[in-house]
Amino acid sequence: MSVKGLAALAAAVGVGLLSGAAIGQEVKQDQKSQVGNANVPPVTQDQLNAADKSTRDFLLTNGNYAQTRFYPGKQISRNNVKNLHVAWIFQTDVKESMETSPIVVDGVMYVTTSFSHVYALDAKTGQQLWHYAHKMGPITTYCCGPNNRGVQVLGDRVYLATLDSKLIALNAKTGEVVWTTNIADPELGYSETMAPTVVKDKVLIGTNGGEYGIRGFVRAYDAKTGKQVWNFNTIPDSTVGVWATKDATGRDMHRNIQAEKDALAKVGDPFAKLGGGVWQNPAVDLATNRIYFVVGNPSPDLDGSNRPGDNLYTDSLVALDLDTGKYVCHFQYIAHDVWDLDAVSPPVLVNVRNKAGKTIPGVIHAGKTGHIYVHDRNDCSLIRFSDAMVPQENMWVLPTKEGARMLPGANGGVEWSPIATDPGQELAYAINLHQPMHYRVESSPYPNGKLWLGGAFTAIAGEKQSGNITAVNYNTGKIKWQVKTPEPMIGGILATAGGLVFTGEGNGKFAAYNSSDGKELWSFHAGAGVNAPPSSYMVGGKQYVVVGAGGNTQVDFKRGNNIIAFTLD
Amino acid sequence: MFEKLAICVVVLLLAATQARAETIEDKVQVCAGCHGADGKPVDKTIPTIWGQQAGYLYIQLRDFKRGDRKSDIMQPVASQFERDDMLAIAEYFAQKPWPDLGQPRAPKDVAGKALGASASVGCPACHLDHFQGDGTVPRLAGMGRDYLAKTIADFRTRARGNNPGMSDLMLATPLDDLAALVDYLAGL
Repeated sequence: MSVKGLAALAAAVGVGLLSGAAIGQEVKQDQKSQVGNANVPPVTQDQLNAADKSTRDFLLTNGNYAQTRFYPGKQISRNNVKNLHVAWIFQTDVKESMETSPIVVDGVMYVTTSFSHVYALDAKTGQQLWHYAHKMGPITTYCCGPNNRGVQVLGDRVYLATLDSKLIALNAKTGEVVWTTNIADPELGYSETMAPTVVKDKVLIGTNGGEYGIRGFVRAYDAKTGKQVWNFNTIPDSTVGVWATKDATGRDMHRNIQAEKDALAKVGDPFAKLGGGVWQNPAVDLATNRIYFVVGNPSPDLDGSNRPGDNLYTDSLVALDLDTGKYVCHFQYIAHDVWDLDAVSPPVLVNVRNKAGKTIPGVIHAGKTGHIYVHDRNDCSLIRFSDAMVPQENMWVLPTKEGARMLPGANGGVEWSPIATDPGQELAYAINLHQPMHYRVESSPYPNGKLWLGGAFTAIAGEKQSGNITAVNYNTGKIKWQVKTPEPMIGGILATAGGLVFTGEGNGKFAAYNSSDGKELWSFHAGAGVNAPPSSYMVGGKQYVVVGAGGNTQVDFKRGNNIIAFTLD
Repeated sequence: MFEKLAICVVVLLLAATQARAETIEDKVQVCAGCHGADGKPVDKTIPTIWGQQAGYLYIQLRDFKRGDRKSDIMQPVASQFERDDMLAIAEYFAQKPWPDLGQPRAPKDVAGKALGASASVGCPACHLDHFQGDGTVPRLAGMGRDYLAKTIADFRTRARGNNPGMSDLMLATPLDDLAALVDYLAGL
């Protein structure tokens, strides 16, 4: 790790206006930062702690530290949402996959684009205040698009993690670089697409790279200096585990335990190249000073022959102590995964009923398997899992050289898309993909930081794909309602106290639904895939809903470069 | 064409024995013999490197030197260079304009077949929209047809051994789909 002092990247050009439309992908030759002025007061830790109660701001990627994505404002409601209309559209300079969660601080919005750009916008008008165009290093190694999912603000700094695996603090007012820290070596397959979570002067960040044979981690960096505070290897030194033969739902995973034990004796513990990326933000339990996150797939994705054992802590929920990074508990959904049906959607802290019917602090996670898993926050143990939200067939057939058909496909179920919850209704809202796939296995040695799938998962030509929005009662595990969509869904969802959920589709549709029964109440066509999580906020006494419409690389939905805000008259 | 290739190899072998080049222009002089002084390769099985992604070019030079990617021609060339040289050479060529090889656009039915195959295996997830590539992933749009065909064939046999993930994906794709992809990508 090195901490560099910083220097503004480019000349100040004053307050920018709406930028011109992007041409192609990133405008690399012309890219430059535009330093401006965002009149925004420093964000305090107290503000962040109370983010769940703020109707003015949307301070964290998933709304608040519990990651409920429940916005407490209700000016936009079931009764008037039909009158929702575009307040403004901001065109970014980057026309590529858009997964950003806009955050809003006292009338200033921060959004990101692919290739790690950051924009500060006037949240009322959409006018650009400043633009940070990251000067990307030549070596980037990443899976599933050059995405960025957002930033977070603490004090007067905006924190960004970049595709070339750097952590950067920007001046929240001007967009100037305050410090830069190298997180890991992109030549070995490390990259960053997630938004940092900043809490108690620590910047928490995971890493991508589970498709490249990395050794995953979650780290805390000092928010003031960029120096590393602690590191937790998501792949511990001993990854063998308990030789679990069944998944979290009790289904046999057809492991050949003896063959794995023989392999272990031969190759040893495979921890060094075992993957275990962390794609999304941890939830923070302020009461117990713990963080909860999920760990992705083992490397190589489909070939388990050279990684004997349960491959801890891949495909797991993990809890750590916030101050020290010390392990608290974990729960593994799929041991020795050979389907890439890993854990990626960010966990959510809500109170849940345990098996005895008592209300306790819980943590829930929506899996690529299509289940929502409900855990006891105290020890990570599983309380229940929901009805399957997508078709499941032939689970867990082992991948073959010729290709074995199994549902769900390797994107899920629920991909990285954050879920939303409405604790008053005891509901979790998830968007799902349905993509029938063939799972194929091929064996090859570690390729020095290159793509290492150990086979291929291919969508089956001629088999219909679709998606859905599903509301699940997390205290019963039962599906309350489900809306089918014509295409697989990836992006995110927002619930509001106005009795609504908002989410978008790859075909450009962005819609509001009654959160109690799923009835569609309003929609808008964005012209490009709406595959990003929406946010909501208030400025000038009016509630806005905002979402990115930039399409998606992973599922190849039509690209765009728009941030679109909606409001009522 | 054989003659051109033979000349290209001779130029290379001579260059490989020269004293260490000093400037970037000196260092890249050797490349033009095969990859073309105007960015158009002298032989159809040689890849376009003008306008290619810098990260990709660097990784290939690195792998030739390491022996992870086999080539009797490229290995001695790349072996002369240290990491900083490779990065500079990669950046030099990345800044050049991508040459138009004048390859025909694929017919509609071929393009349709290619896009179906691409959707199944997920090519744009790495090569991005319009197959422009980024970072360590190469641009494929407008690449020489014969080079594309040879590379895919070499991935399938693992003769091209420095990206087993690509070998896996190419082995998972039917041959007629791959043929369509070659025509489609070359014509972009």
